[in-house]
Amino acid sequence: MSHEPQTVSPNLDRLQRWMQEVVVHPGTVEEAIASPGAEQEIPSENLGDVVLPSDSMTPTERVGVYHGMYLMRMEEALETDYPVLRYRLGHEAFVGLVEDYVQRFPSRAYTLNRLGDHLPQFLAEEEDRPDAEFLHDLARLELAMTQVFDEQEAPVLGAEELEAVPPEAWETAVLRPIPAFRLLAFKHAVVPDLVAFHEDRPSPRPRRRATWVAIYRRDYSVLRLELSRAEHDLLKALAGGTPLGEALAAAALKQQSARQRAHIFKWFRTWVAEGLFTGIDT
Amino acid sequence: MTDNRWSFPDLGLGVGLRTTHYNHILREQPDIGFFEILTENYLDTGGRPLYILDQIAESYPVVMHGVSMSIGSTDPINFDYLAKVKALAQRTGSLWISDHVCWTGVLGRNTHDLLPLPYTEESLKHSVERIKVVQDYLDRPLVLENPSTYLEFADSDMPEWEFIARMAEEADCGLLFDVNNVYVSAFNHGFDPVAYIDAIPADRVCQYHLAGHTNKGTHIIDTHNDHVLDPVWELFGHTIRHVGLRATLLEWDADIPPFEVVHQEVLKAGEWRSKEIANVA
Repeated sequence: MSHEPQTVSPNLDRLQRWMQEVVVHPGTVEEAIASPGAEQEIPSENLGDVVLPSDSMTPTERVGVYHGMYLMRMEEALETDYPVLRYRLGHEAFVGLVEDYVQRFPSRAYTLNRLGDHLPQFLAEEEDRPDAEFLHDLARLELAMTQVFDEQEAPVLGAEELEAVPPEAWETAVLRPIPAFRLLAFKHAVVPDLVAFHEDRPSPRPRRRATWVAIYRRDYSVLRLELSRAEHDLLKALAGGTPLGEALAAAALKQQSARQRAHIFKWFRTWVAEGLFTGIDT
Repeated sequence: MTDNRWSFPDLGLGVGLRTTHYNHILREQPDIGFFEILTENYLDTGGRPLYILDQIAESYPVVMHGVSMSIGSTDPINFDYLAKVKALAQRTGSLWISDHVCWTGVLGRNTHDLLPLPYTEESLKHSVERIKVVQDYLDRPLVLENPSTYLEFADSDMPEWEFIARMAEEADCGLLFDVNNVYVSAFNHGFDPVAYIDAIPADRVCQYHLAGHTNKGTHIIDTHNDHVLDPVWELFGHTIRHVGLRATLLEWDADIPPFEVVHQEVLKAGEWRSKEIANVA
């Protein structure tokens, strides 16, 4: 879109486009006012025709109040959703990350709660950033936690409903997970970062190790279950709608001993007790 | 002193509902007239915030205060957002829905700041038209808060108080009169806050806001992070004399202290209300 630069009396939509360009532009306010996007709307030499000085501030300084607050607001919002990432990176690196991120994924929602939705994707594409792969995993964990926090509440599958399932229906029965449930597979051990954050200990060194975690909500608290690969695979199958008979048979095949196969039923009881399912379709 | 034209009740003294106070409120059931919620915090959640809000709304009047309606923006009105706002108002029984005289973004973006409007005939007409559309959709009067601002546009051809008063009359909307914002903007722009207050149509005012601010020397920022300062209390007294008693809310949104501290601060507003009413009587 191209507009003829305005010298005086910009109309409302031009004025708003200009101010937004300036407010969200990284760097100093002077750089923002002189940025191509802002210049396209209002030439920087005409700033005094658009914004009045006060007794104590120049037009540039007054615009700078808004410019300075933008990044702080974005940082505050992302720190709320990614406290562990912020803890690992420290203030300066986190601010740098936020500045880069909001240039690429600015808020388009009426709520700041959605601002961080693309941060894992952003980190996955930031291959040159130190520990980018680890940070990507860590961000996925924290995003899942915020999503689970906000998901709709649902009734939990109880023992009575399970007992009511006829024996002949178990083979084809399908479990439905609660909405507040996410199952994650990581290339790195990210849970130790979460623990270190909560215990106010230094973040551990990033370690490459396959790990699996279920994030879920019970009684309005966000909880996690650390899983083995076998547990993850079975839970993934069940949550994905695989019939119980098929999912359990596949899991049993992977367990070599009778003792190991007995674990499957222990896992299943734990998941039901933790309230991971909202219903069973027979 | 006059009533507001919609006969919205004077809910007494209220505070902004903040997550750090949830447990205290549910446990202690403090003697508070009402709670104001930040609308957007409850629109897209089915988790704990909404669960807590439902409980609080059973015990206290709740009013909704939004920051993303962007009533002055040149972007299209977001009806998906309004639908959620309307549904939340029905769920909480919110007596009124408020937002700000501002814009928050254009071209589909949201800066999440309450950006200033130029006080021109063009922007007045634009805002009035949008307020009418929103009110029709929400099926209730919209209540809009006077902003705190940090710059003035050279294009403005009327003072802020004239813009606010004409906007309220022409759009037939209500006003949430933020006394601290008047003080902040008066300092930043060098106008007389008393003249501002005296120009506000009293029968349009449905609610008051009070808050602390941060004086940076060259300008004041509306930070909501501290006690209300004495000059703002004085202006609050003047506002009561000009407008009358309205639901009075203390905002404390940063460096939030324990609930008792916020509660004690809003009780000071109760003392001012009693004093001014006694003086009139």
